[in-house]
Amino acid sequence: MLAELAPPPTTSNRLKTTAMNNRMVTAYWDDLFAAKDNGKLVCWYEGVAINPLLQAMDISWCHGEAWSALLAAKKEEQPALLASEERGYGRELCSYARTHLGTGILRERGQIPGSPDHEHIAGRAPAPDLIISAYPYCSTGQQWDEMLFRLFGKRVPVFNITLPYIWGNGSSHAYMQGEEFEDAVKFLTRQLRECVTFIEGVTGRKFDWDRLSEIMSYTKKAGELRLEAMRMCKARPAPATFFEWSISIAPVNFLSAGPEIVEYFEKLNAEIAGRVASGTGSVPREKYRLFWDGIMNWGKLGWMAEKFSGYDACMVAGRYTHMGFWQEPQVIDVDDPLEGMARNYLTCPINHSAPYMIDRITELCEFYEIDGLVMHGARTCRAFSNPQFLIAQEVSKRLGVKIAMIEGDMIDPSFYKDELVNSRVEAMLEAIDARRGLI
Amino acid sequence: MTLYAMGVDFGSMTAKAVIVDAERDVVAAEVVDKGVLIEEGAEIAMAQALASAGLRQDDIAATISTGYGRRKLDVAQRTITEITCHARGAHHLFPEARMVIDIGGQDSKVIVVDEAGHVQQFAMNDRCAAGTGQFMQVLARALDVELDEVGPLSLEGDDAIVISAMCTTFAETEVISLRAQGHSKPDILAAVMESITKRTMGLIARVGKRSPIAMTGGVARNIGVVRALERRLGEPLLIAQTPQIAGALGAALFALDDARRGIRLPPLEPSFRGEADRLVEPGGKGGCSRISTPV
Amino acid sequence: MDHGQLDKMAEIAASPRDYAVAFKARTGRKVIASYPMHLPAEIVHAAGALPVVLQESTEEISVGHGLIYPFYCGFSRSTIDQAARGELDFADGVVFGDTCVQILGSADVVRVTHPEKPVYFFQLLACMRDSWTAENVEETIGKLRRGVERMLDTTITDQALWDSIELFNENRRMIRRIYEIRRRNPEVIDATRLQDVVKSSMVMDKAEHNALLSGVLEQLAEKSGGPGFRTRVFVSGHMCHAPKPEILDMIEEVGAVIVDDDLYTGLRYVSTDIPENDADPIRAIAASYVTRNANIPDPTKIDPDVDWDGYLLNAVEASRAEGLIILMPKYCEPHMYYYPEIKEAFEREDIPHLLIETDHEQLPIESMRTRLETFVEMLRQRELA
Repeated sequence: MLAELAPPPTTSNRLKTTAMNNRMVTAYWDDLFAAKDNGKLVCWYEGVAINPLLQAMDISWCHGEAWSALLAAKKEEQPALLASEERGYGRELCSYARTHLGTGILRERGQIPGSPDHEHIAGRAPAPDLIISAYPYCSTGQQWDEMLFRLFGKRVPVFNITLPYIWGNGSSHAYMQGEEFEDAVKFLTRQLRECVTFIEGVTGRKFDWDRLSEIMSYTKKAGELRLEAMRMCKARPAPATFFEWSISIAPVNFLSAGPEIVEYFEKLNAEIAGRVASGTGSVPREKYRLFWDGIMNWGKLGWMAEKFSGYDACMVAGRYTHMGFWQEPQVIDVDDPLEGMARNYLTCPINHSAPYMIDRITELCEFYEIDGLVMHGARTCRAFSNPQFLIAQEVSKRLGVKIAMIEGDMIDPSFYKDELVNSRVEAMLEAIDARRGLI
Repeated sequence: MTLYAMGVDFGSMTAKAVIVDAERDVVAAEVVDKGVLIEEGAEIAMAQALASAGLRQDDIAATISTGYGRRKLDVAQRTITEITCHARGAHHLFPEARMVIDIGGQDSKVIVVDEAGHVQQFAMNDRCAAGTGQFMQVLARALDVELDEVGPLSLEGDDAIVISAMCTTFAETEVISLRAQGHSKPDILAAVMESITKRTMGLIARVGKRSPIAMTGGVARNIGVVRALERRLGEPLLIAQTPQIAGALGAALFALDDARRGIRLPPLEPSFRGEADRLVEPGGKGGCSRISTPV
Repeated sequence: MDHGQLDKMAEIAASPRDYAVAFKARTGRKVIASYPMHLPAEIVHAAGALPVVLQESTEEISVGHGLIYPFYCGFSRSTIDQAARGELDFADGVVFGDTCVQILGSADVVRVTHPEKPVYFFQLLACMRDSWTAENVEETIGKLRRGVERMLDTTITDQALWDSIELFNENRRMIRRIYEIRRRNPEVIDATRLQDVVKSSMVMDKAEHNALLSGVLEQLAEKSGGPGFRTRVFVSGHMCHAPKPEILDMIEEVGAVIVDDDLYTGLRYVSTDIPENDADPIRAIAASYVTRNANIPDPTKIDPDVDWDGYLLNAVEASRAEGLIILMPKYCEPHMYYYPEIKEAFEREDIPHLLIETDHEQLPIESMRTRLETFVEMLRQRELA
């Protein structure tokens, strides 16, 4: 990689409502940092959003990916990454895991970085009282929890949930249908029930099913509103970008569910509807509509937004935001939510094999009238990068969209190469122009 | 008649020869600027060392070769890796050192040594040659400065630019890009020194930092790298006048041990010599007996 | 020693595809390729087909890099490349059960490049200690049996399963016997030859392989070993594919001798038999899946009571090895995760270890040789001290 260049000038027309999201997120983290002082138990988990189960029992949680993303966004990931490198974790290992494990190492081995007056944020996550593993598709995710368990001396109670991978063995398989899928739903729902029993064991209290229903009704509503808002971006120019949708994952991923998250998406919908009515786009001059495949590069989110805006390109949608995070809210029965939760977990965008994903991405590209796909090849996330060549080839064959493949990583900046990003994106935009007969 | 032993270190950029006497004093040390694939370099180094000590090859009781081309030397009785030799050599120069950082022509190594100068642990750069002598040459060329200006010039820069990884292959293009953005040579060099330091710290992390720390190898003469490392490590580095000779010195000391023990091995067989990077044939057991003698 | 059997095994290990193609021509039977590590090939065998474990090829990867990124383990890239070049044509179907994310990705690519071939996945639970583990594993093995039956349009009887289990158990027992002999007397067989024994077992008809094994065992029993001057080392790693023979040769060339291993194309493949005293063969196969992890831990399996680092400490001690050489394929995440535990355990116990990162592409031979030589020099020094 190269030297840090100055960030591109601000040109994009950002949503105002996002400020509310940022306040909620800050409040959430402050809350978590104070969890032990407030006598709360803390659960470390990664992967699917099982936090409603925790919230129902007043347990605080630290979602590994969200935590790592926070550090990367604040450019504070280095102490944690260094700690894990020193212990012997290779640089090619999932950077989410390395950051989270690094945090654990700092805490467990008493090496909180920073001066006596300023505790570095990397050391502020409270140690776990329980660990729940529920990772879709990615064995690396499951192992991440196992190694955390070992790092903490096998002292922390851990619960393992296996998410069956929807491969599609039989010809009856279709999205959310077929024997294979239904068997998976049954198996996962059963495990969620067992998880509830585990939580009862750790807390010494009976599970509050009413509270879960309440939580899930907010989550369901928030999920529905978010999908509605995203769909409004079919408009030309698109009123919001994938980068803003990435920021807005928080309320449907790791924030506490309550009236606030519903209010947030109501406000967001209103702002977006307003923009559609007035024809206001997120990008001042929308010449290109793009789709982001792959995980987000959390340290470069704002950077990326400006870069593409500068190219007159709107990143309208992406696999990560549009195919995950309570993306099927309609199947949730708030009175008995476990099965609906299971269906959502199983259909997250990495838990389906390539053929399904290709179909779904094709649908999205058609709906949003996409010109080009940006394939973000995150170096240490093989779960997302596994099918990318297949997606690129097939979707471009079906729709004629152009492709740019860029390298990066969710957390580790050393894998990002700005010069290469520029040249590849520019080449793609030129190809789109050529297709339009403009060259 | 006093006992003399010789160590020859085939580097990727230079060949070194050191002769020690029975008291373990260095009586000759030569560094010659020729690469490993040209045997002349080692021969010139040995010839110059013998000449400066007023000795002939017959006066040398034992010779050990080290470095990448070590198997090519026909007067050597045996070979020992440069890691073990640098550890020994550095220990001889600085008996208190418990860690050795050796950055040479194309290798970076970090070695943990015990009080006897034995290797306890070591770590080497995997494929990346950033920070090594060859890298410095490319860097100097790209910036159009003399190789020995690189270090001093870097001290004049401030490390405002952050370089998170630099590749020897692409160093030239990257430097051109930075110059095009208007960064000064000292600033660029300062940033490069910082990034080399980070790489070295990574190697150190693999084995765990020990103190005091000695630095050997040609890059120890680069004041920029040395200062940047000392800053990062928070302690001064122990560096000899001619740090490149540590490997040959260690080899010479091992050879002296052999001579003392009266070990007389025949010279290396011709079949044992060959291209430094030839592939081993499956089932071939050519050099086994050579290394069976205890170090 | 007459090397006839070993030479034959080496030949087949070097080109599994040739063997599979010849087998089909010879017998008219089908061939099912499988991904490592845990899929019970007995089921395929009982269905009358030849199970072949996919291997990394020596071919440089070319078209495969148009289907997957380069930051994947050599095994996954090589199998994808083989598929893309049509080298999996010998397989009438592909089966896999392990859940390493790179294997899942590879199989997904293989299925897309071969839409005419059935590619079946039966998810073998990674978590060994959940209350539903035994039940779920049994269910999965049952589904696997039905899936293979459908794929080959046949029925697998319990008796056929027991016959296959007996045959495979015998194969494993004989290979373990060779390992026992080698542990006592490592000079009797080169490490690469022993690799050929296991690799050929992964490819050949088991009855045929058993016949060759008997011959090998007979001859090894008669052989006396060398003087035993070389430094004893244990080799660990490579859980899905064989390390390049050049590496093992080099280890033995610089003055060390490999006395034991936990390589997949080694002891891992043969560590665990399927119990023959159960009434239900499916239950027996399921039980062996769980036991196998306890016998030689696999870092992709979740089991708080099984420690790979502890296993290695014991195994190194039991084989009287002086040091541990870890061969870690670049990008192997399961291995990268566990390595720090092993590193710390061995540092705590003051047993030297050397980490060597391997890859599909050409090795930096000199660099590897230097590290191995230094390691041997270190071990020798400790021996003297």
